[in-house]
Amino acid sequence: MLDCRNFQLWQDLAAMPPERRGAAPDGLGRQMSKTPSTEACASFCSLQERVKFDHKTLGISGLRKIKLSRHFCEAKSEIVSQVQQPHPPELSDVAHIAEALSHGCDKVMELAVKAIQAQSDNNQQESSYPMFDITKVVTCVLPGLPEDNASVVQGFVVLLSDEQASVAHHLKEQPLKVALINGDLTHTYRHLGFKRPADVQHVRHQLDVSSSSKEDEWVEKVMKLLLNLKVDLILITGHACESMIHHCYRHRILVVEKVNSSVLKTFANSTEAVTVTYVTQLSEHCIGSGVQAAIWRDLCSFERKSSTAVRIFTGRTTGLVTVILTSCIYGKLQVLEDQFWACAYRLHHALKDGAVLPGAGRTEMLCVHHLQKQAKCHREDTYSDQQTKTGMAANLYRDVILQLMAEGFIDYITTVMVNTGRFSKVKARTVVSHHLQNCNDHEDIAAKFSQLVLENEKEAVAVFSAIKPEENSALNIYDNLSVKQEAWRKALDLVFLVLQSDAEVITGVGLKTEENLMLL
Amino acid sequence: MSRLVKKSPSVCMDLPLNNSEISNKLHLMRELLRSCYGPTARLKQVHNNIGGHVVTTSVSSVLLPALSSSQPFINLIKTSILNHVSRFSDCGLFAAIFCLSLIEQSSASRLRGNVAIRVNKHLLAVCTNYLQQDDCGCRVKLDFCSSQNLITLARSIISSKPACVLAEPEMIHVSNMTVRAFLLTVPCNTPGTVSLGRIVTVTIEGQPVLESAVFPGLLVDIPDDFCFNKAHSISNPLHVVLFSISLAGDLPELGDGITEMYPGLDTESQILDQLLEIGKQVAKDEVKLFVCQKVIHPVLQQYLKGQGIIVVERLGITLMEPLAQLAGALPVATLHTRISPTTYGKVRDAGLRQFGSRKMLHLHPVGESAVCTMILCHRNETMLNELKVVCQKTEHLLRLTLKEPCALLGGGCTETHLSTYVRHKSKNEVSETASALGCSQTEFLLGVKMFCQSLEYVARSLEHDGGTSAIDLTHAHHWTVSSDVLKEHLEGSLGFCGCGLVGSCPSNKWTYLNTEYTEFSPAPLFRDTKQPKVLDSFAAKLSAMKVAVETANLALDVRFVIQDMN
Repeated sequence: MLDCRNFQLWQDLAAMPPERRGAAPDGLGRQMSKTPSTEACASFCSLQERVKFDHKTLGISGLRKIKLSRHFCEAKSEIVSQVQQPHPPELSDVAHIAEALSHGCDKVMELAVKAIQAQSDNNQQESSYPMFDITKVVTCVLPGLPEDNASVVQGFVVLLSDEQASVAHHLKEQPLKVALINGDLTHTYRHLGFKRPADVQHVRHQLDVSSSSKEDEWVEKVMKLLLNLKVDLILITGHACESMIHHCYRHRILVVEKVNSSVLKTFANSTEAVTVTYVTQLSEHCIGSGVQAAIWRDLCSFERKSSTAVRIFTGRTTGLVTVILTSCIYGKLQVLEDQFWACAYRLHHALKDGAVLPGAGRTEMLCVHHLQKQAKCHREDTYSDQQTKTGMAANLYRDVILQLMAEGFIDYITTVMVNTGRFSKVKARTVVSHHLQNCNDHEDIAAKFSQLVLENEKEAVAVFSAIKPEENSALNIYDNLSVKQEAWRKALDLVFLVLQSDAEVITGVGLKTEENLMLL
Repeated sequence: MSRLVKKSPSVCMDLPLNNSEISNKLHLMRELLRSCYGPTARLKQVHNNIGGHVVTTSVSSVLLPALSSSQPFINLIKTSILNHVSRFSDCGLFAAIFCLSLIEQSSASRLRGNVAIRVNKHLLAVCTNYLQQDDCGCRVKLDFCSSQNLITLARSIISSKPACVLAEPEMIHVSNMTVRAFLLTVPCNTPGTVSLGRIVTVTIEGQPVLESAVFPGLLVDIPDDFCFNKAHSISNPLHVVLFSISLAGDLPELGDGITEMYPGLDTESQILDQLLEIGKQVAKDEVKLFVCQKVIHPVLQQYLKGQGIIVVERLGITLMEPLAQLAGALPVATLHTRISPTTYGKVRDAGLRQFGSRKMLHLHPVGESAVCTMILCHRNETMLNELKVVCQKTEHLLRLTLKEPCALLGGGCTETHLSTYVRHKSKNEVSETASALGCSQTEFLLGVKMFCQSLEYVARSLEHDGGTSAIDLTHAHHWTVSSDVLKEHLEGSLGFCGCGLVGSCPSNKWTYLNTEYTEFSPAPLFRDTKQPKVLDSFAAKLSAMKVAVETANLALDVRFVIQDMN
């Protein structure tokens, strides 16, 4: 079992008893009857999932509610008022949480944890509650290096050509003056929204003999300005023209192109530099100071086209972290980068929510279990209702709908199980129903639920042979709360809109009309 | 080179209503619109044939423009309904269903066309006269001393659009909010001619509906990295300058053609100089808020910010007029003359507000200004679009109540009540009316029956889930009976009528709406204690009725349809 005492985990999703709505309390009498399908979505929405289970091994520090429903918002206020702020997890816990959230990508998740550690090293004066500021994380992929060379570096690491790297070499270990440009460093660049005049002809009275072009004039002007301001480093979000780079190289000004705008913002905050659109806008107060550059790694021995990774950082706390991803296989770099961002966002959301949901199908199983229980209760209720002849259409269908919702979840779980490649469709269903049967026999359901989808074979066998989680030392898997919640919501919204629609109006039907269309 | 193309002959169609193709299409259109009517309506998904954007809706103003027919006859009806919707926003579906039902009933009956037209016209006059009378049983006087009726009216409109997907508390919140917004647009202390203000609607996707709100004043979008000094709010009121031309530094619109330019000329820097000149003047005049409808050159922005001026660019055309109204500023449309200080406006102060990820600048008027901003939040785009349409419509209808401060009972009760009234009155005056209309009494009574059945058909259209509609034989209100209630339990299972004014009591008698029943005079209600729960707009419904009957009469009158095929 995980040792994350302070981290809040939700183990049980206990739905509130659904509110009665059949009696048409609003007196409108317009909603007296509903078809099963429309009622299905209404009840889908009506599912209120609330967490009120205390897991002894994990030690929940407080109760929190999650409300999926937009209908039937009759919240039990005493539960809401009991909401406690969870005790913030400490950094050491984050590693455990991250492990449970890695979903098979352990290596890159380790990098994400290192990134959090690097960020919190930076701002110790702030609260100890670790948050993952994802906007201050950048990735840098280095092809050619073996995968275990991946690491996390404070500051901004960028791959530069040899020529640029030599400038960086000159500039290392001295405080640099930095200019930040949001745009291109070319003389033809214009800001967003500028309309270039169309159809302009240039007319000359005599032949132009002076050879200097407009671009050269511009470069000369800009260089003069940059040298005046003693700029050593220019970070730009766009690109710079060849001659500009060349001139900067000659004057030992380091130009870094295609910098992320969030990086630019971080540098602006930490160096008091002002981001400008045109280089000509630069003045004394726009220039930031206190930036350093260092050669992080020379990669000339690994690549045909030699390049150097240069690290740019400030002495002050910025929280800016670069995650360096490496692989010998070029095609794998993109996969690694995607995996890293998936892990980073998962961790980011988990820390933001302060909660996670049991993964590997456990949350869905709990929902299924609960829905089925509700459906059963409801069937009995309806039966007694009918005796008194007050049963209304909406109530009549409720148990069917709850059962259908449970089916939907079961379908999801079995699909995931089939996708692991270890189950056939039939076997997956058998396992799930066997599992549910077992849980129905016990009261303490959450403790009995175990993961249905696991990392490797032997654990799976251990789980499915006997449902005794106390003996199961397998790694627990967790999912994001808000992400899952949002996904369910979106799905329910869509279900509602689709079920409530009865016709499709296709405009502008052309020549190739279909057979069964009705034309107006 | 000109080329002569042989003209194809026009197509002429005799008696379009007898044409089976047209009557099938009319029937289809009626069924389509009928299923959109009321709070339990079914939705329609509108998209084009190449898989474009899908709109899910049940609102007539969105749905009707999407319906286009190859038959000019059907387009005629559609256009007429759309014209009503554009003027009154609501009751478009009512008008369409009523009109199509009248056409269908009249063409199915063997009544002579001109008799049906005359009877319809007469009965329309009977209805409108009755609705204007003070003792009209289905009209409610709106009391502006209390917001209750206004909220009920707003709620009835919003709740009749299920594609908004609002839960009960959300419905109440949105109804209260629209009424509040409407009240904010009515100026209180302006002497003389009063002109109503306006509501600016801002939609925010992804936030819960209950976070929707109304703010007096205007909210304008600002970029993420906007820095706001506390100092801005101290020196109040703030002077505002408003530009309606682009300050991006490009050449102003020169029109078509080729521009010749000397190489030494640097137009861009000249325009930039001009822009900075404006900046200097504005700074000298102590303007604190610089707003441009379009793009502002970054150099000018930098200069203005350096002078401690709040810069807002890309305001958009929709916000220009409200802002000019709020601040009392005149939009400047030139770079080349000195800005006259009379064009400056004033705002009391500016504050920051954040909704989800959107940052907005909240501008308050100096004195009273009837401009307010309604922030509408919903979880997804489809529902948000529908909610926006519905809220704007509600606002329009609330405005219409200022002209005629009354409303009609909703939930189908007005229709059944009117139908009973018309039946009773016609029966009593059958001999004189029939002779005045120049038709036999049988013909007249057949016409009355068609008219009343069409009205009742609209009331019945509110039900979509297999239930049936009933009418009580005392007050002639409309009741719905859900499909699973057995006939012997009918009396016990009816709670309230459609508008919520009449409760079921054992002495009442009911009959199903599509059955024959002996006509009676609807008894007036004593309405001191109870307030109706569903209200319809008076002006919109009255107009819808006129439009429906007149369109139906027009359609019945068409003998030939001549279509130019070139």
